[in-house]
Amino acid sequence: MKLAVLLVLATIAFLILGFVFPVHQASTPGIVSGEALPGVGGTGNTPEAAVRSLLGDVQAHDWSQAYSLLANANDVDKEAFIHDINGNYGSLRTFSSLEGSGTRVLNQSGDQALVRADMHWSTAVGPIYEVRELRVVQQGGNWKVVWPLEKQATVPPQVVPVNYLRWDVIYRGARDDWGTQNVDSPQVRIVSMNAVQHGNTLVVVGEVVNEDTVPAFVDMNAILVGKNGQDLDQENSFDKIQHTLLPKQVSPYRIDFPGFNLSQVKSVRMDAKAMLVPASADPVIAVLDQHEQENVLGNKVLSGNLLNESGRTVNIAQVLATYYDSNGKVIWVSDGYVDRALLPQTPEPFAVEMPDNTVGKVQSYRVTVNHYIRQQS
Amino acid sequence: MKQSTGPCVVQGGSDTRLRVICALAAVLAFSLGSFAASAPSVQFDTSHIGPRQMEEITGRNIPRDWGRAWQTMAVALDHNRPDLLGRYFTGFAQQKLKAAIAAQQRSGLRTRYIDHGHKLAAYFYSPDGSAIELHDNADLEIQVLDGNDLVHSERVTLHYIGLMTPAADHWEVRLLQSVPSF
Amino acid sequence: MQRLLPAACLAFCWMAALSLAAQDLQVPATVRAGSAFTIPTSGSGSATFYLIGPASRTKRQVQMGQEIQVKPQEVRSAGRYLAIVRSGGTNRSVSFYVLAAAPASLSFLAHPSRIPVAQRGGIIGVTFVFDKWHNLVRQPENVDFRLAVNGGPPASQTVRSRDGVAWLRMNSGSKAGNAKFVATLRGIEETRVIQQVAADPCHLQIKAERNAKGVLVETAPVRDCSGNPVSDGTVVTFTANGAGGLSTVDVPIKKDIAQAELKIPGPATISVASGVVMGNEVKVGGQQ
Repeated sequence: MKLAVLLVLATIAFLILGFVFPVHQASTPGIVSGEALPGVGGTGNTPEAAVRSLLGDVQAHDWSQAYSLLANANDVDKEAFIHDINGNYGSLRTFSSLEGSGTRVLNQSGDQALVRADMHWSTAVGPIYEVRELRVVQQGGNWKVVWPLEKQATVPPQVVPVNYLRWDVIYRGARDDWGTQNVDSPQVRIVSMNAVQHGNTLVVVGEVVNEDTVPAFVDMNAILVGKNGQDLDQENSFDKIQHTLLPKQVSPYRIDFPGFNLSQVKSVRMDAKAMLVPASADPVIAVLDQHEQENVLGNKVLSGNLLNESGRTVNIAQVLATYYDSNGKVIWVSDGYVDRALLPQTPEPFAVEMPDNTVGKVQSYRVTVNHYIRQQS
Repeated sequence: MKQSTGPCVVQGGSDTRLRVICALAAVLAFSLGSFAASAPSVQFDTSHIGPRQMEEITGRNIPRDWGRAWQTMAVALDHNRPDLLGRYFTGFAQQKLKAAIAAQQRSGLRTRYIDHGHKLAAYFYSPDGSAIELHDNADLEIQVLDGNDLVHSERVTLHYIGLMTPAADHWEVRLLQSVPSF
Repeated sequence: MQRLLPAACLAFCWMAALSLAAQDLQVPATVRAGSAFTIPTSGSGSATFYLIGPASRTKRQVQMGQEIQVKPQEVRSAGRYLAIVRSGGTNRSVSFYVLAAAPASLSFLAHPSRIPVAQRGGIIGVTFVFDKWHNLVRQPENVDFRLAVNGGPPASQTVRSRDGVAWLRMNSGSKAGNAKFVATLRGIEETRVIQQVAADPCHLQIKAERNAKGVLVETAPVRDCSGNPVSDGTVVTFTANGAGGLSTVDVPIKKDIAQAELKIPGPATISVASGVVMGNEVKVGGQQ
């Protein structure tokens, strides 16, 4: 009984406190101000609200509602709009979903405005951040978004002869036929290794070459050895490497040790593991027009175009960029996934970030491409 | 390798001292059995190896795995357990030991090796690191049992030639052949 | 002391009797694997015969005074054997060694399976000599090794086995191709194939010419320093440095030549590399 009375009194006291001291502009924990919420898209009374509403519908996969918020619906086909946002051809975007977004009005005058949308995609290979600057116009009293549709070039029907090499491997059987010859693992060699400090992460970068005449599946491991000779930590290159290396192909690698400092480390023990795997020399992907530039956020990026020279669609492409100093030493390796599929003979732009600590030191760079092709039945 | 404890029957339950002795005997027998089941001591000499020099880690792993191979062989032959041979024996060495155990099972025999240690010397290490030939002086007590009857017992120093080849994370015995001398 | 002396005499006599009994079992000085022999016995009555070998256990009833027949299949494995005869509570035993029979098979380890041409001591051959029962033949034997590529002169060497093993190192030839590596002993022949592959490219040369689509860049036939064509599939990297930035493409060699079409409109300097080997540089002008 006493407890019930206490609870009633406490509730009344909190209600009074709430009226006397209201909390203004309180934000919901975990949601960035200006972030779109799925299903909360209303009509656009402001340019920012229009973009937030559109992104909310995208997040909710309500394509019809999102399409209805476009100012240029006459110029943009609905299917093309959906493909642009949701991906096609088994690209990385088809394995992604919009996790959250933020908006900011860059300028507004009369019935036009420019809004920057920061989109946070959750993908099969980790989070991807995308920035788009969207033009918003007022139509019939409502703000609507002019969607900058990036038209995908259509490839004319043609026959692309592909007669590059393919390697298949027959391994020794499970039978214990000791002495019977097996095929050796490929010979790979670590060409360079450099340990650099990047924030609170110790990063080991370098290059590895397949010296053999057969393809190799390569994995790089590094062990940090402390001042007293003890092993501090062991990590591998995970996806910061071109795992499948054709004969004489060179791949960069990067191995991150979060929370470690160069001053703790006496040496780094490297190990390149190579396995013989079936592989194909197709597709050849050219990396064109590589150049440094600043992105819309003012960050330095290395950008260019990927050109899939084969006749098959490359579903997911990953760009690995190696940066060298004036002595030819590898000083950084960065990577980025291209969220659109690489259609045959069609250039596809890419951009990978160059961290601040490499700016001014980079003398040259090299871009290589990892590719993933969905198996066709 | 377990020691045979033999019957220890206490009648009436009045003689406490006898009970204690029996219990102690059982504990002793058990601990002896456990001791015998542990890997034997292996002294390893690499001073005459060739043509390849032995890596430090291989120099540690070879005597370790040789000892474990002998340990599993002793248990397998004592308890007629061919399934134990899979890890440290391969190829014809494993086939021959399995054949011996199968023959033991058919005839009701058991062979007990009480291992008093090995003086192992590396003789040949192939240049590509794929095989090691070893010479072993094994100090052994060998007992042959027909059922529970001890048919033969002897303590001998035997010479063995062994061939070991690498597996994924250890070395396996591919050949184990006793010889009159080196 | 007076009581101890008779006891000691008795023990001595008993041991002597046992020893004599043990001497009763006699085996041939040497037994070859897989060959039958007999063990003579004395006395009368039935007894149990045990034969404990590396891969066999035998238990059977025998008649004392008659020879015990040891069958070939009971002594196939080389090693130490124990023959025990148990009769009337008395055990008589003898140990003997079975030696390997004549060589019948070679375990031939050839390494590596691929090797660049002209590598000194790069090919390793190791043979272990076994008889037909998979026993290591310790007796020294001459093993002949022969390495030959089609059309090239063979290299051969004879090595005497020691403790069952014969090994050698050989140089890889200067001609690329599949080399037959053969080990022979008394008509037993084991063959392995060593793929002799071209070494790193030598004098990597390119030429480039502009066409309607871009720049067609092509290597001269890529060969190693011995003149062997570099393996198809070997990656060659073309790099074009022009006004639009850097363009690179990794292209596999096909029929000795690597070729790529670089879609670059302006003038550019094009270079070539394969692995860590660099080639020449050429300059191309812009589109007209």
